[in-house]
This record gives sequence, C-alpha cells and structure tokens, in this order.
Amino acid sequence: MQATLTALVAKAQTDLAALKSRPEFEAAKARLVGPNGELTALMKQMGAVPKDQRPAMGKLINETKTALQALLDTALGTIEAAELQAQLGPAVDPTLPSPDAGPGTYHPLTLVREEMCRILRKVGFTVADGPEVETEYYCFDALNTPADHPARDTQDSFFFPPTARFGNVSKHTPDEKYLLRTHTSSVQIRTMLKGEPPIRIVSPGRTYRRDTTDATHSANFHQLECLYVDKNVTVRDLKALLDYIFGSLLGKATKTRFRPHYFSYTEPSFEVDLGATHLPKVKKDWIEIGGCGMVDPSVFAGVGYDPEVWSGYAFGMGLERLAMLLYGIDDIRYFYQNDLRFLKQFA
Amino acid sequence: MKISLNWIKDYVALEASVEELGRALTLLGLEVEQIIRTGAPQLDQVFVGEVLVRDKHPNADKLSVCQVDLGSAGGVKTIVCGAQNYKVGDRVPVALAGAVLPGNFVIKQSKIRGQLSDGMMCSAKELGVAEDADGLLILDGRPALGTPINAVLPVGDVVFDLEITPNRPDCQSHLGIARELAAWFKLPLIYPQEKFRGKVEGAAHPELLHNVSVLSPEDCPLYTAHIIKGIKIGPSPAWLRERLTAVGLRPINNVVDVGNYVMLETGQPLHAFDARKLGGHQIVVRRAADGEKITTLDGKERTLSSRMLVIADAAQPVVIAGIMGGENSGVSDDTTDLVLECAIFRRQTVRWTSKHLGLTSDSSYRYERGVDPHSALEAAYRAVDLILETAGGQVVGPAFHVGGDVPWKREIVVTHGYICDQLGFEIPAAEMRTALEALELSIAREEPNAARGPAWTVTVPSWRDDLDRPIDLVEEVLRLHGTDKIPPAVVSSPGLIGDDDPVVLFNRRVTDYLVGHDFHECVSYTLRSAKEISTWVSQTAAVELALANPFVDDQSHLRPTMIMGLLESLKLNQSRGVPVTQLCEVGRIFIERNGQNYECAAAGFVLAEPMGERSWLKREPADFYAAKKHVAALAAAAGIDLVRQPLVPVTGSFYGWQEGHSAAAGEMAQGWTARFGLLNLAMVRSLGLEGKIYAGIFAILPEKLTGEATRRRYADFSLMPAALRDFALVVDLAVQSDEVRKTLAKIARAAIGNAFALESVEVFDVYHGKGLPEGKKSLAFSLVFRSAERTLTDDEVNAVGQKIQDEIAKSTPWQIRK
Repeated sequence: MQATLTALVAKAQTDLAALKSRPEFEAAKARLVGPNGELTALMKQMGAVPKDQRPAMGKLINETKTALQALLDTALGTIEAAELQAQLGPAVDPTLPSPDAGPGTYHPLTLVREEMCRILRKVGFTVADGPEVETEYYCFDALNTPADHPARDTQDSFFFPPTARFGNVSKHTPDEKYLLRTHTSSVQIRTMLKGEPPIRIVSPGRTYRRDTTDATHSANFHQLECLYVDKNVTVRDLKALLDYIFGSLLGKATKTRFRPHYFSYTEPSFEVDLGATHLPKVKKDWIEIGGCGMVDPSVFAGVGYDPEVWSGYAFGMGLERLAMLLYGIDDIRYFYQNDLRFLKQFA
Repeated sequence: MKISLNWIKDYVALEASVEELGRALTLLGLEVEQIIRTGAPQLDQVFVGEVLVRDKHPNADKLSVCQVDLGSAGGVKTIVCGAQNYKVGDRVPVALAGAVLPGNFVIKQSKIRGQLSDGMMCSAKELGVAEDADGLLILDGRPALGTPINAVLPVGDVVFDLEITPNRPDCQSHLGIARELAAWFKLPLIYPQEKFRGKVEGAAHPELLHNVSVLSPEDCPLYTAHIIKGIKIGPSPAWLRERLTAVGLRPINNVVDVGNYVMLETGQPLHAFDARKLGGHQIVVRRAADGEKITTLDGKERTLSSRMLVIADAAQPVVIAGIMGGENSGVSDDTTDLVLECAIFRRQTVRWTSKHLGLTSDSSYRYERGVDPHSALEAAYRAVDLILETAGGQVVGPAFHVGGDVPWKREIVVTHGYICDQLGFEIPAAEMRTALEALELSIAREEPNAARGPAWTVTVPSWRDDLDRPIDLVEEVLRLHGTDKIPPAVVSSPGLIGDDDPVVLFNRRVTDYLVGHDFHECVSYTLRSAKEISTWVSQTAAVELALANPFVDDQSHLRPTMIMGLLESLKLNQSRGVPVTQLCEVGRIFIERNGQNYECAAAGFVLAEPMGERSWLKREPADFYAAKKHVAALAAAAGIDLVRQPLVPVTGSFYGWQEGHSAAAGEMAQGWTARFGLLNLAMVRSLGLEGKIYAGIFAILPEKLTGEATRRRYADFSLMPAALRDFALVVDLAVQSDEVRKTLAKIARAAIGNAFALESVEVFDVYHGKGLPEGKKSLAFSLVFRSAERTLTDDEVNAVGQKIQDEIAKSTPWQIRK
C-alpha cells in the first residue's frame, strides 16, 4: 500500500504539471481526491489493513493527502496565472497614439476673459452680465450720450425695426428702439439700477459695431468693463487698479499710461496705453488698450445715486485686442474661423 | 487735423524738440496719429555747387573724382562721388566739412580709396527732403553758386496729424493748439493783431449788397457780411501757399486761400461771394424749398429739402449753409468786389444736411463740432486784413450783422480741496492756479476756505463751452500737471461678498463640461443670413430676427442657434484638411416664438464622424445617445433634470434635424428648450459636409438661472443584499421604452405594497427581428428589489414576480416574452 501511495503521488506530479485548463484540472482533481477518486479508493481499503499497522498507514495516507493537495494548489496556481496571461494579450506599445479625440480646448477669448475675471475677483469685483440686445436708454441716454452722437446713428450701430419685440429685454421708455449693444457699458446701468452702492463689477461680453471686417475689425467683438462705485473714489485709485490688472496679466515689466480723452459718461476721461515691449511682436513703445475715467456725476444722477455722496470709476477694453497682444496674434478673423490648428495653441 | 509747427510758432515761441512736442500733445489729450516732416531741415555748410570736371576714380570703377565750384562759399573743391545721374555743368547741393546731414551724418574731409574728398554731393534723401532718391539732387533754375542750400529748397516743417476729441472744437485750429502748447510749456500766447476792427471808412455801396435777412434764426444765430471793393484776384504770396500746402490744402487764389487760412488759424469757416453774382444784391438765409436744386463747387447738382439751410440771393440758393458754395456765386479770376460771410450755423442742421447729401467739407466738419460764436468777428476782421494785404481793395459799407446778441458769461466755483479729493493726491494750490490761468481760465476771485483750501471763481472763455462744472476743471488741472505723474498706489478693496451672475456661472459650468469632454470651444458670429435661417430654422424666425440696417447681406439676422456656426467651422477645418470631430460654443442665441424674440443663454455642440482619417485602432463613432448624454449634462448645469422631462420628436421649430433620429424637450413657455440628435442628412450634405453629424443645443432664459443650487439632503440606503428579477416584454415597435418602464414600475410597486422597496427599473436589452412577430420588439427590464431591514427570501420575491406577470397580462397590451 505504501508503494501504491508513493506511486500515486509520483503519477499525480507528472499528470498535474501537464494540465492546461480548468476543466482538465477539475477532472484530474476528481480522479485523485474526489469521492470516486484514487485516494478515496485507497482510504476505503483501510479497513483491510491490520489494526496495528493502521496508525502508521493513517499517517501515510494523511501525508499523501497533503502532498496531493499541495500539487493540486500548484497546478491550479499555474492554470490561473496562464488564464490571466491569456486575458492580457501581447504587451502594449506605449508609443502608439491614442485614437480618441482630445483633449478639448478653451477658446483663447475665453481664456483671456476668465483670467481677467480671476484677477479682478481677487480685488473684490464680481462678474456681471446683461443682454446683447439693448435699448437706446441703456446703451446711450443713461450714459450721457447726446442724441446726435455718431454712435446713435444707423451708420454705426445695428438697430431693429420698430416692430421687433423682445420678450425678455426690458425697455425704459415705450418708444425707444432696440439695438445690438455697442459696448458693455449698458451692463453698468442695469447693475446700478438694480442694486445699491457700493458696487464693484466686471462685465465681459459680446458687442457690435456696424463695421467692415478686416484684420483688426469685426462686426461683433468682445469687451470687458469694470465699474467701481463707492465713497471717495479717486483718479489715483483708478490708475492703481490698471497698474494692478496689467502687472498681473502681462508681468511686472508692464507700464500703463493715461492720456486725457473724452467719453460722455466719464469725467475726467483717459485712454489707457500699455508699455509692454517685452511681449512678442510689440514694437511700439505705447499701445492703446482701452478707455477709462471717473463716472460722470450726470450718470449717477440718472440712476438715482447722489453724486455728492457717491463717486466711482469705469474702465473698458476690447478682449480681442488684449488676446492679440498677449498671444502675438495679428489677425482678428482667426478668432472667428475656429481652425483647430489655431484653437489648440492656447490650451 | 493737420498742424504745422512753423505756423504754430507764429503764436508761441516754441523751442522744444519734435519728440518733446509729440509727447506734450499726447499728454494734453491731443492724440498724435502721425508726425510728417516736409521740406528741408536746417542744413549748415551745404551750398549750391557746379560740377566743372568729372574724372574716373583711378582705384574704383564706380566712383568719380569731381572738381566742383562753390563760388563764394569756398571756390573749387575736390569731391569723390558714387552717383551716376549727373553731368558736367549740373548744379547740385554740396555738403562741406562740418555739415551735419539728417540722421546725424557728419561730413568730414577724408580720403576715399586714396583720393582726398572735401565733402559730399547730396541726394534729396540725404538732405532729408524726400523719402527716396535715385542719385544726386540736380537743382533747377541754376541758383547762384555758393547759395546756402536752405535758400533754394522748400522750407522745412513738421506737421502733426492730430485726432481731436469731439468735446474740443476749439482745438480744430492752429490758435487752439498753440494755446494748449503755450500752457504746457508755460510760454505766452501771441494773438494775431488785427488792423481792421469793424470800422468801415469808405462810402457805402448798397448797389453791391443792400440787404441781409435771416429767415431761420434758430439755424443761423449769427450772420455777418463785409463788402471789400476793388480787389485783384491772383496767386497768394509764397508764405501763404507754403502754409496751406504743408497741411495738405491746395492753394487756389489769394481770396480763397485767405478764407482757408483763417479757418485753419481760428477754427471759424468763412465764405467769399463775388458781389456781382448775388442776384438782387441781397442775401437771404433760409430753409431750402423741397426739391430746390443747387450745383455745388464740385460740379455736382444737389437736390435740397426743407430741413436744409441755404444762403440765397433774391432768386436762388447760392451756398448750402456751412457746407459748400455754389458753382456760380464764388470768386473767379475777374472778381473785383467781394462779400465776405462770417456766420454761425446750428450744428445739428449742418450735420443733418451733410449726412443726407453725403457731402462734407472742412467747413461742415467744424460747424458740426461747434464753432464759438463769440470769436466769429475776430476771424472776420483777420480775414479782412489778410485780403487787403494780399488782394488789395477797400472795405466799404454797409456792413451787416444779424443776430449774435446772446452775451457769454460762465463762472465755475471750485476749491483746491475738491480737486485734490477727486485726484487722490495733492497738487499745490499755486500750481493749479497757474495751470488754469495758462488755459485762459482766469480766476475772478479767490476766497480762503479753511477746510478746503482756496475757493476760486473761475471765468470760462467762450471757446470752452465744454467746461461747465467743478469736475470739468479737475481734468484741466490734471492735464497740465501731467497724467504721467499720477503717483502709484496699492489697490484697496474691502470685499463686497457678492457672487458672479448666474449666467456667468452657467456659462462657466457648461464650457468646463464640454471642454472636459474633448470638445473644442469655438466663437462664431452672431449675425447670420436670412436664407440660412429660413432653410434651417423657420420662416418666422427669418422675419422676426431681422436687423433694420444690416451692413452686409449675409449678416442680416440674429442667430437662433449656434449649430450653423459650428457646421461652418467644421467645414472650414475639413476643407483645410484638419481632422476634427467635436466642436462646441457657449453664448447667446435668440429664439423666436409666436412673434416674440427671446434672448437666451445657450450651449451647443456637434459630433462628427472622423473624415478620411485612418486610425490604427477603430473606435465606435458617436451616436444619438452620446448627444443625449451631453445635452442632459448641459441642462443639469441649469438645474434641469432632462431625464424627468418628456422627450418628443423634433418638429417644426428647427428644420435641420433628421426626423426619427432627434428629440426635443422643454418649451420657451417654461423658459428653456433643448434639441438633440442627428442633423438632417440631406441638408448637411448640401453644406458640403460628409457623414452623420449629431448635435445638441440647450438654451435658457437668463432670468431663469438663479445660481442657487438646492441644498441636497442625505437619504438612508439599505445595506441588505438586493434581489433581481428580469422581465422581457414584447411591444409594438413604436412604443417608447420609457412608457413601458414607467408602467412596469407602477405595477411592481403595487405588487410589493409596503413589504420592501423597488430600487430601480432599467431597460437592459432591446431586440427586434428573428423570433418576434413583424412590427414588434422586445424590451428587457431588470428590476431590483431590496429591503431596508432583511435579506429577501426567494419565495417572497417570486410571489411578487408572479403578481407582476399577472398584472401585465391583465392590464397591458404587452406580452411577457418567455
């Protein structure tokens, strides 16, 4: 019997090593240790073993059982490892490109707008919004623009016919005409009428001028405006804000310069020049970037703020112009063509 | 406006360099668009010389050695020259040692290839009189040898092309600009001194002009006319021609030139009539009759209307007031007696007329911006002086002066403290006083004010109508102090604890989502064509969204969707061979419903098949359900759960969708709308695009976005194991899965009662074809049951399953598929 047991183990060792799959394994396992297996059959012969030999034989059978179990475990381990290996397939070539599209990209105008908003948010400005279809009151009258100003002319701005009805753009007076806003300054008026001072907003958005499209002009373009209303606001505060904005955006080497100018809704008014010769493609010492000034007292009076108590400043600029300067883009039309080779450069 | 530096120097003794002047003008708010140098600069040691001998240079093929006679300026000199365009006997400019040519080019005696040269013969470019030159400047007219070259060349001048802001009509003149520069450089301003002061000495000649009547005084608040008899028309003197030429005007004759000169000097337009040509010897300032005609100086016949003002004689209009004279009333070579008009016209009248006739002039430009009525007579006197000086003649009576009787007086009271408070920094009171006075804003009174520093009563001159309030004087003080000297400061900003506008938050969320899902964000034009909108969207939208005054035909309407723009970008990339599949845009669109337009915040996208691209590994192309997922995410960004909304096939409101392969949710009455699915295959192909394009758009009224997300509450969930049962139902092909799902859920809940919970009902298989009757499909659902307290037994779940089967058989038209 001892010889039979030893032979059983030896045979099992050979047979199990040759197994390739789980069904083969299960069959082999049943053949060895299953209820009708060879070991079970040998164990059933224990009754025929003389009593005095039984302990030794029992021990031998147990040892055999342990040995077979170990062989089975090893065989199963090998099969499982082979199964996992089969799931993997051949090794990948990590240098092959991903066939999936992506990654997505933000438009450069969005990137510049969001960066400006972040910079302004740090100093307490929140982002405001308003309609692109506006009325003459919000776009002109409330901003102190005289009735015969060229911007109010159909030559320069897009108007809607008197029959046009906009369900969710409110008029100030029933007779005024709708037009596409010529600047985001209309948001200043809506914000001031809706809220109370102090106010600190930045309003980015799409604006429209009746203009020929060329390398630097576009029928629609984007602006960004700041409005600050509080007590004792000064010209020096305005200059400090612009120094801060452009220093943050374009680097500490950037200089800003005010040039006296004229806007109907600010007094005094300035055009803002940037000294940024450290930027690519900037050749001129000073580049005009926007307009600003102290809110004209008549604008405050128009929205019901007491000009004796409240003062403030406003600043506006073109986002395309800023993006062109920042990235060194020389044609405004690229922003609207959406050539992927353009869009992917700014992500 | 072009300003000549030589001219300005008549009124202010400027010594600053051109660079300093440019900076001063800029900081004064007079934007310098261009600096143009004309004529020759001051050139010392450069003389007229004549080439006597021209020999070949012994050591250089292209050089010559010349003997040049400079006459009184040094006799015969030896000059080595490389130019080829001259011959012996030509007179040319010669720069001798010590001359400094433009560009700081110092001329010395030197050896050139072994030959001594005493100087250089010059080209026009080297002298700074031309941008470009080929060879030496050969002087015409044989000027005397040894003449300093500046006596031969046109006088050098610097012309500043300035952009004048509309609030400063006073700066539309040399005198106005001189006033600003005098104030900046702290120099006195020298006004021209008129000899004629309105006193007419000769006998009256009513046969030349006996009456001026102004019938429309609101359009013409002031009209003056002077008669000058016995003039002789001829060319203007050189100084006058030079001035006009420098600023871009063509000299015509002495009288016309004086008119232009005085306008450019003072800003007051003038007009001269030939007295003979005024029918009835009278002037009538009146509105034109509708349809009345005049042929203007430029030879064009103009039809007038009753809103236009004209200067007429007894019979007909002779001038369109303030804009342009008629062909037949102006001065000509044989004119001997003049009527000189100096008037003020209402700016709105001139502007309206100019715009409607499409006719502008230097005169109309100034009237539109405003001409100071209180300086008009000074300009008339100045013009009389210059006409007498250049054309002779005599001022005779009668002189006419109609209107102009409103006196000017304006005072502003401002304190030193107020100005400092507005500026945010200190400027000494003395400096402010000096600045104001330099601009002829005289201080009528100064009163001490303990708290606010001195209080000044400032007298505003008539040409500064733009100054009306204390704040207006702040700008004047700051301008002269220098806006480049505003001291730096740190931004101080106490927080206002506000949040960004809900629309801004929505835009940011959807952009982040789409870019995060591999879309490329586009920006396209808002204005689209009528044809596109009527083809792709609706006929009514193509009416209601129209602009009144489009600039170009294909940009005449507001966009009702951004999908068209995205398709255009898709096409552009495809045609340029750039692979692209996923594009998106976030922005405003304008939706028309029942004749009302609504401005909406919106986000849209397109998903295209990869075109002509080969890939080493194939991926499944996008489908309807990819579009659905993205639109649901866009809706979720606005707080709307698209899954809970009824979805209907797209009809009507956007023709561009493929029927049976697209869906819509929401309506403008609810404040939002969504469309998604396959774009119409034929229409997409008509754009020149290939393959299937899926798209989606979500739009919402801005006012519906509140920005306030509802605070979520935690709900308990069971830790017990779930029990699953599957049901496959055979239904008609047209039946929507959601209808079946909802019914099944209802039946299951009724079957369970309160015993445990139905956790979910989800469709997991859709089948039609073999094994099923024609027109039928099978929908397989998985139902998940769970109890909060215990493990469910097979028996109780089976019992529920049986009840569900019975109920389906009893109350629905569907069959359980075995």
